[in-house]
Amino acid sequence: MAPVTYLEAIRQGLWEEMVRDPSVFLIGEDVGVYGGAFKITEGFIHHFGKERVIDTPISEAAIASAGLGAAFTGLRPVCEFQFMDFITSAHTQIVNAIAKSYWRWGAPAPMVLRGPSGAGVSGGPFHSQNPEMWYAHTPGLKVICPATPSDAKGLIKSAIRDNNPCLFFEHKYLYRRIKEEMPEGDVVVEIGKARTHRAGGHVSVITYASMVWVADEAAKLLAQEGIELEIIDLRTVSPLDEQAIEDTVKKTNRVIILHEDNKTGGIAGEIAAIINERAFDWLDAPITRITALDIPAPFSPPLEKFFLPKVEDVVREARRLVKY
Amino acid sequence: MKANTETKPSKPQPKAPMPAKSAPAVTSNGPGNQVVPLRKNPNGIPDYRAEVPNFHTVEEWADGKLRYTVTGDFDAPVPAIRESKYLNKDQSLEIYRYMLLNRKMEQALENLFKQQKVIGGVYLGLGQEGCSVASAYALDKFDWIAPMIRNQGAMLVRGFRPAETMMQYMAKVGAPTKGRDSGSHYGDIHEKNCIAPISHLGDSLPVIAGCLLGARIQGRNVAGLAYIGDGGQSTGPCYEGFNFAAVQKLGVVLIMEHNLWAYSTPVELQFACRDLADRALGYGVPGAIIDGTDPNQVYDVVHEACERGRRGEGATLIEAKMMRMKGHAMHDAALYVPKPYFEYWKKRDCMGRFEQYLMGRGWLTAKQNEELIRSVDEQINKDRDEADASPFPNGEDAAANLFKNNAETIPFKYGPPKVKKVSKDDKLGEASNVSHYK
Repeated sequence: MAPVTYLEAIRQGLWEEMVRDPSVFLIGEDVGVYGGAFKITEGFIHHFGKERVIDTPISEAAIASAGLGAAFTGLRPVCEFQFMDFITSAHTQIVNAIAKSYWRWGAPAPMVLRGPSGAGVSGGPFHSQNPEMWYAHTPGLKVICPATPSDAKGLIKSAIRDNNPCLFFEHKYLYRRIKEEMPEGDVVVEIGKARTHRAGGHVSVITYASMVWVADEAAKLLAQEGIELEIIDLRTVSPLDEQAIEDTVKKTNRVIILHEDNKTGGIAGEIAAIINERAFDWLDAPITRITALDIPAPFSPPLEKFFLPKVEDVVREARRLVKY
Repeated sequence: MKANTETKPSKPQPKAPMPAKSAPAVTSNGPGNQVVPLRKNPNGIPDYRAEVPNFHTVEEWADGKLRYTVTGDFDAPVPAIRESKYLNKDQSLEIYRYMLLNRKMEQALENLFKQQKVIGGVYLGLGQEGCSVASAYALDKFDWIAPMIRNQGAMLVRGFRPAETMMQYMAKVGAPTKGRDSGSHYGDIHEKNCIAPISHLGDSLPVIAGCLLGARIQGRNVAGLAYIGDGGQSTGPCYEGFNFAAVQKLGVVLIMEHNLWAYSTPVELQFACRDLADRALGYGVPGAIIDGTDPNQVYDVVHEACERGRRGEGATLIEAKMMRMKGHAMHDAALYVPKPYFEYWKKRDCMGRFEQYLMGRGWLTAKQNEELIRSVDEQINKDRDEADASPFPNGEDAAANLFKNNAETIPFKYGPPKVKKVSKDDKLGEASNVSHYK
C-alpha cells in the first residue's frame, strides 16, 4: 500500500467508521457537496447521503448542540469545525452542556468535535490557534492531538467509538506535508497512551502534534554531535499518559517540554508539575519549556516564524541541559 | 388609552361558539380543520387571544432615582377561557389536576425554602402553570421536551414526581441528579425524553433540534417542545438552534414565554419588535400568539404545532403572553415591578379561570373540586415527607461516573438508522488538492 497523507488518513478513518457503523454521521459547515474547507469529507455525501452528511448554517453552537441531541438518541455524531479557532463560538455548549452531561444527569454524549488547528500556514490570529487547553482544563472531555497519519486514523476511530465527547485537533500544517503507510485492517489507537517517537538516552522531549516533527529534526542534528533525544509524542493532552512521562524522565533525567500552544496555561506547566510530583529526585537539570510566545498567532510569515518554537530552540536547550 | 380588544367577553361564556366573522377559515398554520385565531397582528401572525392588552413599562425619574412605572389600560374586563377544539372532559380535568399539583408543589417548595431546607434558590412559575402543563400535555411519549426553570408543571406531565423535583431543590441523594446539579437541572433520555437544562439560556434549543434530527435519521419524525423566556430569546444559541430547526424542517415547537420580566429587566429593554411571534417571519416558520394563562389556547395551538412536526412539516414559534407573578427567585421581592401589573394579571390567574371554566361546562362540581384539591394536597404532603426524609449524598460520590464506560452499549432510541446503502464497490477516492491554507 502506498503511503498516505495525514489528511487522507483522517478521511480513511471517517469513511471506514461510517461504513462499519450506521450510527455515525457528519455535521458541519460546507462538509457536504463542497467536501469541507480542507476536503476532509470530499465525496462522502455522494456515498452516504445527505441524511448522514449534513451541511449546517454558520452556527457553531448549533453544530455542537445538535450533535449532543442526536447523541441522546443513540447516534454518534462527528461535528466539524471549519477551523478549531471557531470552536469558541460553541464554548458554552462544549464545556457546560456536553462535558457535564453524563456526570450531571447520566446522559452520555458519544460524539467527536473535530477540525484543523495550529499555525505555520500564515493563517493569522483566527485560523492558527491551538485551543486544546481550554478543553483539557474541562473535566468530562477527551482531547486528542495526533502527530502522524497512522495515529490520526487510529485515534479518529477510537474517538468515534468512545462513549464520551472527544475533541480531535488535526494539525493543518501536517495535513498534506507528512505521509505514512497505513497498517492493514481495522487498527485503532488507544486514547490516553503516549508513543515513543524516537528512543534516546540523553534528553527527553515531551511533545505532541506538529512539534513532534520539530523535535524530530532537532534530534537528527543533535545525533551528529552525539546527543540522543528521546521524543515522547503524547497523542492526547487529556487524559495525559502520566506513566509515560514518569518513565522517560527516569530514563534520561533531563526534560524539555515542547508545544506549539503558548506558554502560560499550556500543558507544559501541568507536565512540569506531574514530574515534580512523580520523579523530582530523578532530575539532573531543570525542566525546560519551549513553546510559542504569549501573544496572538501573527499573520505575516516573519512574525509567525518568530512566534513559533523552532528546531534551533530545541537544539540550543538540549545542548544546555546536557552540559548542566 | 384603551385596550385594543376586538372581543371583550365580560363574563365567562363557556359554551359560546367562536365568533365566525372575525376568524379566517384557514389559518397560516396550514390547511385543514384547525382552531381559528381571533385576529392577526399587524404582521399577519395569527392571534388566538380573547383580548389584546395594551400597556407598557416606562422609565421614570423620581426623587433622584430611576424606577419603572406603567402606561396603558389596566381596567379591561377579564376574558373567559376559550373553548378547546380538542380537549375532552377527562383530558381537561387531568390538565387541571396537573396545574393544581404544579402550584401546590411550588407552595410546598416555598415553605421548604423558608424552613431553610432548600439549598440555593427557588424559582417559581406562579401564574404560568397553565402554559407549562397544557403545552406538555400535547406531547406523546416519543416526543421531546426542553424545559426551563418555570416549567416544573411540564416535568410533572412528563412523569417526574413532585418528590423528585423537591429533592432536586433540597440537594438530596434521591433526586434525579443525586445532588449533582440543582433545582430544575434534571432530565431523562430513556423514558421521559426531557433535556436537563443548563443555566445558560437558549442552550437547549439546538440540543432538542439535534434530538429530532437523531429521530429522523432513525426514520421517525417527532415533535420537540422547547420553552424560552422573553429574556432567554435574546441569546445567540436560541437563534442558532431555532434557525437550524427551521432550515432542517425539524418539528421544534418553540414557546416563547413572554412573562414581561427577565429577572429585573422589562421587555422594553429586551427586544424592539411588537410581538415576539413576529420573529417567526424571520425564521420562515408559522407563528402564533396565545394567552399563556388560557390552558385551552395553549393546548390547541401546541397540539397543532406538534402534529405539524410529526408530519415532518417543520418548526413553529408560539408566543405565550402572561406574567411572572413572583420575583426571579425567592430572594427577589420584585419591587421593581409596578403594582398595576400584579393586580391586572392576578385577575387573569390561570387556576381560578380554568376552575371556573370547568365548572361552567358542568365538567367539575364544587364537591368534586374539593375532593380533587384534597387528593392533590395529600400527594404533595406525602411527597414532601419523602423528600424531607431523603438523606444528602455522600461527599465522595462526587468523583464517580465522570466518563461513561466504553464497554457499555448505547442503544438506538428509535431503531437502527435508515441509511443509504453503501455498495462494497464504493471506494474512497483521494481528496482534491484544494486547501483553504497550504
